[in-house]
Amino acid sequence: MSNQTWLSWRAGAIGLVAAALWAAGPAQAEPKKGGTLVYASVSGPGTLDPHVSSSAVELEVIHNVFEGLVALDNQNATKPMLASKATASADAKTYSFTLRRGVKFHNGDELTSADVRASFERYQRVSPNASNLSGVERYDTPDPQTFIIRLKEPNVVLLDVLKSPIFPLMILPAAQKDKPARGIDVVGTGPYSLGEWVKDSHLVIKRFDGYVADTSAAGRDGYAGRKTVHLDAVRFRFMPEATTRIAALQTGEAHLAGSIPSELRARIEEKNTLAIREVFPVGGSYVIVNSQFGVTANLGIRQAIAAAINIGEITEATGGINKPNPWMSFPNTPYYLGNSAPTPWYDQKNPAKAKEMAKKAGYKNEKIIIETNSNYQWMRTTMLVVAEQLKEAGFNVEVKVVDWTTNAAHMQQGTGEWNLSTTLFGPDHILGPQQWRPLVYAFPSIKGNDALDAAYKSFFAEPELEKRRGAWLKIQQQVLGNAYMIKIADSGRLTGYAKRLKGQSDYAGMLQLWDLHLE
Amino acid sequence: MNRLIAYKIAQAVPVVLLVSVLAFLLMLLLPGDPAVVIAGEQASPEAIAAVRRSLGLDRPVLAQLGLWLGHLAQGDFGSSLVLNQTVLSAVAERLPVTLSLTGLSLAITLPVGIAIGAIAAYHRQTWVDSLVMSAALVGVSIPAFWIAILAVILFCVILGWFPSSGYVPLLQDPALWLQSLVLPAGILSLFQIGFLARMTRSAMLDVLSQDFIRTARAKGLSEWVTVGKHAFRNALILVITATGILLSAAIGGSVVIEQVFALPGIGRLVVQAILARDYPLVQGVMLIYGFTFVAINLTVDLAYTYADPRVRYD
Repeated sequence: MSNQTWLSWRAGAIGLVAAALWAAGPAQAEPKKGGTLVYASVSGPGTLDPHVSSSAVELEVIHNVFEGLVALDNQNATKPMLASKATASADAKTYSFTLRRGVKFHNGDELTSADVRASFERYQRVSPNASNLSGVERYDTPDPQTFIIRLKEPNVVLLDVLKSPIFPLMILPAAQKDKPARGIDVVGTGPYSLGEWVKDSHLVIKRFDGYVADTSAAGRDGYAGRKTVHLDAVRFRFMPEATTRIAALQTGEAHLAGSIPSELRARIEEKNTLAIREVFPVGGSYVIVNSQFGVTANLGIRQAIAAAINIGEITEATGGINKPNPWMSFPNTPYYLGNSAPTPWYDQKNPAKAKEMAKKAGYKNEKIIIETNSNYQWMRTTMLVVAEQLKEAGFNVEVKVVDWTTNAAHMQQGTGEWNLSTTLFGPDHILGPQQWRPLVYAFPSIKGNDALDAAYKSFFAEPELEKRRGAWLKIQQQVLGNAYMIKIADSGRLTGYAKRLKGQSDYAGMLQLWDLHLE
Repeated sequence: MNRLIAYKIAQAVPVVLLVSVLAFLLMLLLPGDPAVVIAGEQASPEAIAAVRRSLGLDRPVLAQLGLWLGHLAQGDFGSSLVLNQTVLSAVAERLPVTLSLTGLSLAITLPVGIAIGAIAAYHRQTWVDSLVMSAALVGVSIPAFWIAILAVILFCVILGWFPSSGYVPLLQDPALWLQSLVLPAGILSLFQIGFLARMTRSAMLDVLSQDFIRTARAKGLSEWVTVGKHAFRNALILVITATGILLSAAIGGSVVIEQVFALPGIGRLVVQAILARDYPLVQGVMLIYGFTFVAINLTVDLAYTYADPRVRYD
């Protein structure tokens, strides 16, 4: 055989093999099982008691160790989780849940309705969010798989309350019922169970091999769906400094790092084995206007202040991921109003108008005290920019810098001498108006606003979503239109990760460690 | 000697108590509410009030202070409002980390600081002296936070010589324990080496100009014996004093280092306690710090008698 013929045969054989492979399609690689994911977290949790937890560092662990009756799905709707079915009576006074069979706690006990009842009763006793269950008349457990909530008054949004990812109503074993707040044994039904926990150093959660997944779901779905754990364990390492977390990623000591400052993202992206993930939206930032102190008790002056605010200048200065949104709901949620109504209060960026409005409202150069804090750079930057915008509009401004604990306490309790401050609200943008209610009244210290009270009353009484959206519009017109709060933007966060970490969800919720694997 | 020790301890008790009471009162002067930290800033006012009641924070200040002093008399340092554990157990968990860090930094500081200070004094007004003192000046001037971050980038990320963070207990793995602490202890010792070198140089210069040193040389003793034995021994008092100061400074300086290197020590604990307004934890740690500094001063006083036989306590 000549060389030319042999080469032709060889080329032909290679071609045939290639064609066969192409026809077979790409190989579906099974996720690799095993390994320990190391996550560089900002700090360690103070407690893993879900009924009293609202901070991200606690909820990042809690949502992987515990589960509730229902949960948020990818579309932020309510999906059954430990319940296979949830129904409401026509008068919205009775809610019935059928529990999934065979679900096990980490201690091996099977989940029953007695555990659910005990968890709800404990929640009412210890949780700062207990007022959401104040309308409950009683709980019934006719059999081990059925749990019934009977309400004194109709509540059309009870399921929205139960799916809340902060102060989550996770189901604990009935034996935990009388434990004090922050005093539970960490036993849940989630895909991970608690391993070693050395405070200030690290925390380990291990794959729970007895986990009973929701097989009615095709795959993961927000906090709900079918959860599969490929990893052996996840090790949370607590690193308060961002540079330390980034260094851990760069050296391979960590595979995932949270809360990356935007000005440092390049240090991660310059390494080709690492990448940045933008998680958006996680919250909305607001200027809080104290309606019970000094000049900001005056509606006209509050509205004048809002007229001076330039959103673009603020978001450019703070950096990070920000998108303008005039509403108190995220897009892709049931209560987002989009372009259905005007938002004249938002991003007016008109210092001349602000000056005129302040003059009409009787402003006499009284001091406007801005209180911010040294702990969160974006908060400090926001209020410094706001201070300059107000000065341009002719306001007399003083800026006070305190620490976050002081700042938060002043806003929450309406104490201290301040007119303006800032904070970020999170899942309230997903959960809706019922979740907003205590915050809306507390932070800007709203008192005696009959229109707002009426709008909320109307909201809770309406069975139809469209009418509840109408009530929500009125609520926002009161809160934002009267400048009790001034919306800035929706914001996100950055996480850094090693590219060998696969399977991360696109859902912008708390850390979800199921369906991840390390190549 | 035993009478000295008993006297020093008796003298220290009211001082330490005063420090803790002052810490308690200073914490109360700070605005901010631990109940907000515990309940979460987005909890309802009623929920926050309930937390405040459950922790006894709604009681009058003097009642809270009296209660704390009463428990203290029974050896109860109180419980952390945030950590859900006793103050003593919280400190005990973290003590090995801070002790390891400060101990290792002192182990680096003492030989290096004394040696370069002595060398600078012996070669005074030469380029050696200038070089050493310039380096010492840089050591005391550089902010620890800044140099720590740079050290992490250079030695951990670029060179890969050390882990960037974390602590491995000694009993778990001595080699990894050492590896996890060398860099943070080295950074912590930079300021201390500079300070000790300058103090040692100053003390040695004073001694080297004394007549007995000239006599020692005239008798034909070697420079090594003259300087290393006779001169250094007489400079030791000042060096011991400086060491006591450095140990106290190291305990305070460990706060920044523990933060940057994510070491779970007492420094980090007390910073978080202050930010969270965890009054019992701050008071308890201040009390323990007070006793620690008293112990350091007592040790320094006792060391004087060893360094200089002329020093006696009646």
